Formats: sequence, structure tokens, C-alpha cells
Amino acid sequence: MPTTKITIFSVLLTVLFISGCSSSSQVQIDSKFPTVVSKPKPIKAAIVFSEEFKSYIANPNSKTSIDLGSAQTKLLSNAFAGLFKQIEFVSAATDVSFDNALVITPSVQEVQVSTPSDTYLNVYEVWIKYSLDIKTADGDQVDSWFMPAYGKTPDSFMLSKTNAIEEAAVIALRDAGAKLLLDFYRIPSVYNWVVTEQIPLDETEVQ
Amino acid sequence: MNKLIALCAAALLAGCGATTTIDEYRPNNQIMDINSEQSLVILGRRDAGHYDTDREFIDCVAKKMKGADIGVFPEQQFVDAIYPWFEPRTAPKGLKRLRRLMEDAAIKEQVERNGIRYLVWLDGSTETHDKGGSISCAIGPGGGGCFGFAQWEKSSIYEAIVWDLTNLTEKGRLRVDSSGTSYLLGVVAPIPLLTPVKNDACASLGTQLKQFFTLDQPL
Repeated sequence: MPTTKITIFSVLLTVLFISGCSSSSQVQIDSKFPTVVSKPKPIKAAIVFSEEFKSYIANPNSKTSIDLGSAQTKLLSNAFAGLFKQIEFVSAATDVSFDNALVITPSVQEVQVSTPSDTYLNVYEVWIKYSLDIKTADGDQVDSWFMPAYGKTPDSFMLSKTNAIEEAAVIALRDAGAKLLLDFYRIPSVYNWVVTEQIPLDETEVQ
Repeated sequence: MNKLIALCAAALLAGCGATTTIDEYRPNNQIMDINSEQSLVILGRRDAGHYDTDREFIDCVAKKMKGADIGVFPEQQFVDAIYPWFEPRTAPKGLKRLRRLMEDAAIKEQVERNGIRYLVWLDGSTETHDKGGSISCAIGPGGGGCFGFAQWEKSSIYEAIVWDLTNLTEKGRLRVDSSGTSYLLGVVAPIPLLTPVKNDACASLGTQLKQFFTLDQPL
């Protein structure tokens, strides 16, 4: 074999090895989420999913990107549908058609990822910090609610970094849905609004 | 000479056996009431910070229970069917919370639709400790090999708590405690002598749970 070909072959092999050692991960969340089991309250709400939220890609560090937009929109749509009897999803607050309703705009404040190489623990972890801006249809501020969600893999055995982060992110998203359903009506300002609007609270509701 | 080798091999293999203890507690002597259309679900506790009850162990126990006249509903299917009330954040830790959950008509309907009569909570983990010895391997132009000796101890501790979703009571508790030492001998080739601690715990707990649900009279 001529020397040039050997050199090219060696360079290619080296590049292949180096790219194999690269630890960058681009994670796409494709998981489906179950429908929530919940009796919605007789409340009208408009949920504002901005284009930025719907196509949100988190970059928790320079080597990791997580495409959360589609998955979090599906998950939160499902969870909000379990909270409110009448619901509309809009792209901007100006598109809301409801009167006497809550207008909720979720946004992502921060996404953090930790890997076994960071923590020396045998798990991958994902934190998603959401913020819900809650207003009335008239534009009065009800609350700005911080909603953290957490997910971790059971272990890191036989998991590629991409798959592990995806698994932890799916668990974190499910946790966000659980927190929303469990705690939304416990927010004092929301509870006060419900009482002021004289909306009946179901006594058998799980609290 | 052959007898000596056989004795040594027997001693080594005997050393690889796990010691397993099962404890069972039932609050009363009532037999488990279940019909052919009902099933149980085995769920892992995942709310502890430092460990998760692993799905592999839960699947193993569920497999060991096959053969009894009782259906085992898949864990993930149950958690999805009743989302989000059995997520790590929301799962009931006690009967008081379970009773509160079951007051919700939508949740009760889902449980009944899926024919779930009993819920078995599994909580525990398998841990490795007391590592000792060392083994090193080398390779050269003339060949290679491993020399040395290493050993480690594993222990599996799991507790199963059985809840009745119809009467909303606790039906019993089972606890398995299994431990054993594994060895790795480096005599040119590495020879692993592994003690199946987790498998032993799974087999013992699965068999005992099967008896728990099928025996006419408790032990």
C-alpha cells in the first residue's frame, strides 16, 4: 500500500476514534405521556404557549442540548386539561378569547443536568425549573409561581449518555405534571382567586 | 489427588452460596380474597434520594409469581393508567393517604377498570461492600495472564408491603435479607466465583409472595 494511502487511512482512523470519544449529546424527547386522571374544576383558563416555549431547546452546558419544546407542550397541555374544565391554548396573551378566566403563561427558567462524571454518583439527573405567570383575563397579576421538576435514572449501567439524559428528562417532565396537578390549587393567591370568584371546590378532590 | 481437587471445588462452590432469610408478618389469619378477574400490581418505591428499587428486581419477583392463580399487572402500565398519582412525588406512603386517593372517583374507577385488587410495594436495594484483595492482569509478547485474588460482599434487603385496594387495609409484610461473598481468582485466567445474592433474594421473595396469595392457611 502506498505511503499516502496509509497516512489517509491512519488520519481517518484517528478522527473516527476521536469522534467516538466525544461526549457531546443532543437529546430529543420522543416519549409519549399518559393522560392525567383528574377531575377538572369548573374554571376557564387560557394557556399561553409561546413559540419560544413550543420549540425550546435547553443547553444546560456546552456539550449537551435537550429538545424539550414539543414534549413539554404536550405534557403541560395534558396536565392543564386535568385542572380546568374549559381551556384554550393560544400562542400569545392577546389571542385569549375567554372572559373571567385565568391566563397562564409557562416558561422555562433553567435546565440543569448532572452526569456520573460530575457527581461521582451512579445516576444521571435533570432539573427543569418552570415559572408560571398567572393573570386574570383582565390582565391583573395573580401570581408568578416557581415550579421545579426533577428526574433521575435508576442507575447508569449500560446507558449511553444521550439515552440516560432523555430518560431523566422524561421523568422530570412527568414530575412537572405531577407537581402541577398536586399543587396548583394550593397556591394561596390562586386559592383566593377561586374563592373570590365563588367557584365551588370539590370536597373529594385529592390534596 | 482427584479427591483433593473435588473437595477444593466443593468448598469453593459452597462458599458462593448466599444466606437468605425471609420474615413474614400477617395481622390476621384471613385468607387472601381474590377472584380470577382481579390482579395485583408490584410497585417499586422510588422516593428515596440515594437509591431506587430497581425495575429489574420487580420484574424478577413478578416472574417468580407466575404459576399462581393470580394475575400480575405490569408496573409501568399501572403507573401510566393512574398518572400522576403514583409518581415518586405523589405515591401514597401510608394507608391514610391511599384512602384519601381512593375517595377520588376518577382514581377509584381506573383501579377497578384495571381489576387491581392488591398493591405490593417493594422497597430496598442491593449493595456491594467489604471489597478486598487485588488482581492484576498483564500481556506481553510471550503471552499474558492475571494474578491475584479479590473478594467483595453483597447484600440485598427488600421489604414487601401488601395493601388491599378494596378494603384499604394492610394485609401483610414480607422482608428478605440475603447476603454472600463473591470471589475473583487470578490464576493465569481470571476465574469468577459469583454469589447470586440478588437472584436469591428475588427467588425467595417471589416464592414467599406466591404462597402468601395462594395458601389457604397462612404459615
